[in-house]
Amino acid sequence: MPRQFAYYPGCVAEFSSKELNATTKALAPLLDIELLPMPQATCCGAGDVAEAKPNLYLTLNVRILSEAEAMGVDILTICNVCTLNLRRANKMVKDDPRVLEAVNEELVKAGARPYQGTIEVTHLLWFLATEEGLSLLEARGPRGLNGLKVAPYYGCQLLRPSSVMGFEDPDRPQSLERLITALGGEVSDYEGKSRCCGFPIILAREEVALKESHVALSGARDAGAQVMVTPCPLCHLAMDAYQRKTEQLMGEEYAMPVLHLPQLIGLALGLPTKTMEFKRHLVPVDEVLSIVGA
Amino acid sequence: MPETTFRIFRYQPDSGETESYHQDFQLEHGEKTTLLDAILRIQNEQDGTVAVRYSCRSAICGSCACKANGKTVLACMTQVEHVKTDSGQEIVQVDPIGNFTPIKDLVVDMTPFWEKFKAVKPFLIPDGPAPEKERLVPKAAMEKIANESKCILCAACYSECNSLAADPEFVGPAAFAWGYRFAADERDGQRKNRAKLYSGEHGVWDCTRCMFCNERCPKGVDPRDAIEKLGSIAFQEKVTSDKGARHAKAFLISLRTGGKLNEILIAPYTDPLGAPFNAPLALRMAQKGKLPKSPLTHKVKDRDQVKKLIKNVKETI
Repeated sequence: MPRQFAYYPGCVAEFSSKELNATTKALAPLLDIELLPMPQATCCGAGDVAEAKPNLYLTLNVRILSEAEAMGVDILTICNVCTLNLRRANKMVKDDPRVLEAVNEELVKAGARPYQGTIEVTHLLWFLATEEGLSLLEARGPRGLNGLKVAPYYGCQLLRPSSVMGFEDPDRPQSLERLITALGGEVSDYEGKSRCCGFPIILAREEVALKESHVALSGARDAGAQVMVTPCPLCHLAMDAYQRKTEQLMGEEYAMPVLHLPQLIGLALGLPTKTMEFKRHLVPVDEVLSIVGA
Repeated sequence: MPETTFRIFRYQPDSGETESYHQDFQLEHGEKTTLLDAILRIQNEQDGTVAVRYSCRSAICGSCACKANGKTVLACMTQVEHVKTDSGQEIVQVDPIGNFTPIKDLVVDMTPFWEKFKAVKPFLIPDGPAPEKERLVPKAAMEKIANESKCILCAACYSECNSLAADPEFVGPAAFAWGYRFAADERDGQRKNRAKLYSGEHGVWDCTRCMFCNERCPKGVDPRDAIEKLGSIAFQEKVTSDKGARHAKAFLISLRTGGKLNEILIAPYTDPLGAPFNAPLALRMAQKGKLPKSPLTHKVKDRDQVKKLIKNVKETI
């Protein structure tokens, strides 16, 4: 019996970065996971709605949690920002019954199902970096990454604030490292792995954002990484799509291919490269594919 | 008794040392010795020239923030043994706080921090003439600003702010925590003016949401949350012309018109004037299929519920 999750890919994976959604869906059966669709689920608001209209943010996110609760399963995400927004809303209503009551009143008034507070939200990385997840990977007998030098890039919102996230020490995260090693890759460690990619302000304050992503890109390059891997599609856009702009601004070259986490796992497990849609990346990944023999 | 190597950042330009370096000191200390006590003992017993700023030793004055093995802490409320366990390292490296210029060893030039603090007008500015008697404030109204009132201006948040590292002009988390503390105080009469003041070029919309400030604050102020609430106040006061506010508006429009993000809308709506300059990137992204072919919105099931929530839910900031 596969482990079932209410699947919340988030807007970026569904639209701009379809390659992440496609790879996750292709990977799920190999890991004995069943991803159940959430047709009612809206955007989590990406922190922007929380900033503009905090009560609306909370209510919309609790509506998403409630849809999963009706399905009787926990939520699985593949985006840092969605994970934080959903977990934060979950914590707010679980911590204070009066807040839950007020939110439910609005939900019922709008014809939506009230939430009981029984759902957990987890990220694919967290699920896989546990003993259960690692044993699922081992059961597939991974073909392996052939010593590929991988720079783990966490970004921010899967680690901080730890009071909401809490999976691992935000100052010494190890989940990506555990996966990279288990898949036969070599970890390229560097200081910038849990610093910000700048994406939340990349449209409003581009130069500030690009200077932020430079810290991680140059750090990964200087650590000798052949590729960077990230659990977040927003970080991916900042690191991949905007990489040339950052190079132009900083007057440096990174030439750093960036993989979504499920793509790295897919490469190790021998998922067809066509399925993982690498052609949608702006920084070519050809060298990575040739190192792992894909 | 534990013995620890302290690797202390040294910089003594007054003595002609123009380059900084790290110097090791060995110290035997108690199980519960704080980092500040250890530094002061090194100063007293081994090298009187080690410079550190401190005062109360009780996590009230906010003077002794520094980095211990890379993480900003208040030296007086952090035990040496905890630093070692926390970081998994036997050596304790002590550095000055980040995003500042060192003056001498662990002492930094706080001038930009205080300038930005002053710039947010961190004091009550009531409207109209002073009342005859004191202004009474209900407890619930003070609870709204209780968190931010705990700030001791130690700059631990400022030290690791990722936006500040990229834009030194960014006002920063501590000053905005104070900004919110007064903007949301019901005795203050400057709510709209404050919303305008804080929405400028290096203002609240500069925050990249790295969450380091919430993680590092030793007093539980959660400065990022204060910045977020200042954004909400800006929306309530209709101060929404900044690109950052427009970015948030694009999300609200997306939710209203379909329920999910409309990625065709978001870039041009956020920055209508700048969008043409981003055309080369947009073109490259389009070639790779990263931009949608259809401008139609993505509609979720039972969208009428979402519409009703958008209409009904009242903000209470």
